[in-house]
Amino acid sequence: MTGAEIIVEAARIWLWIGAGVAVLFLGFGMAMVDEDADGAFAFRPLLVPGILLIWPLVLWRWGRLAMGSDDWAWRYGPPRAIHMAMAVGLSLAILAFLLGGALVKQSWPADSAPQQLSAPEVSE
Amino acid sequence: MSEKPFFIGYAAVPTALRFVMGLVSALLIGGAAVLGYAIGHAQDDPGDGAFRFDYGRQTVTGVIELTPLPVMHVIEGSEQIAAGDTLMLSGAGKNGALPRAAALDGQMAQASGVLLQRGEIDMLQLRGGRNGLQAAAGDGTTPAPVDLGHWKLAGEICDGKCLAGAMRPGRGISHRACANLCIQGGIPPVFVSTQPVEGEEFLMITGPGFSPLPEAIYDAVALYISAEGQLSRHGDLLVWALEPDTIEVLP
Repeated sequence: MTGAEIIVEAARIWLWIGAGVAVLFLGFGMAMVDEDADGAFAFRPLLVPGILLIWPLVLWRWGRLAMGSDDWAWRYGPPRAIHMAMAVGLSLAILAFLLGGALVKQSWPADSAPQQLSAPEVSE
Repeated sequence: MSEKPFFIGYAAVPTALRFVMGLVSALLIGGAAVLGYAIGHAQDDPGDGAFRFDYGRQTVTGVIELTPLPVMHVIEGSEQIAAGDTLMLSGAGKNGALPRAAALDGQMAQASGVLLQRGEIDMLQLRGGRNGLQAAAGDGTTPAPVDLGHWKLAGEICDGKCLAGAMRPGRGISHRACANLCIQGGIPPVFVSTQPVEGEEFLMITGPGFSPLPEAIYDAVALYISAEGQLSRHGDLLVWALEPDTIEVLP
């Protein structure tokens, strides 16, 4: 199995698990953890693509909400605390990527002349 | 209530902040413009290759040769394609013409499609099915290949279709994935030499002994490399049988 085939197979498995989570969560789980969603169905298909991709997060949030261990205020604390660090870090990362790209970029070997290593074979 | 100015977007800018805001705004806008110009200026020239839709549909007749990918030695040309030209052939998109051309090796055929041109390199993108390539009546023989010896060249492996004008840019590291997909799809690969070889800058490439291109070459596509291989002339097209174990990625 080549590297590309492994990546494609892993993505396929990931999406199939996501499809299973989507069926369970949108079919049963959502109404259990969000009373506002109880009886509302039209919007649920819109969530399928997102659940296919981030199903581990959906399972984690579903579990916390179902067990009543969610602290909504806590969830917003960490992102706020690292806003400044992330802004500076991402700005520096963009610069680093640009400079790094320029540094590793190959130079067109314009001075490299073709060399004939051996003459054509002469047919008898 | 604090006297410290507090900026809100829909009110007039406090006097104390006007200079700083103007300076920061000018730096951001000017910096973005300079950065954009610098990035654009650093890009390689995409070249003048293009689909020649302005020529209209081209229909020519000639002899098919498998090198092992198909080329046509034109015997009866068109307004834009001269008799004696050697055309690389491709299908639509990232598909080669080998499935249609395999049964026509060494035979007369009629090819019809759109020409792609970049300098001395040209390729015909065939129409679909038999409209694009079909056996034709007439006499014609494949020109005998002329051996030109063993050569070490420096340059870049590209796919012939994008290089000839299907994409802009059709070469370089930013085009690497596309080039690999085209080559895997059967589009003839082309080597761009740093300097002309036997008068040509572009050479069609094959595997050793003019075999199909080995997968080992895929990793070297779109990089600046040097390599060795046997060179021969097929019609007016140079074909280089590249040896993968001689590939060196240049700094």
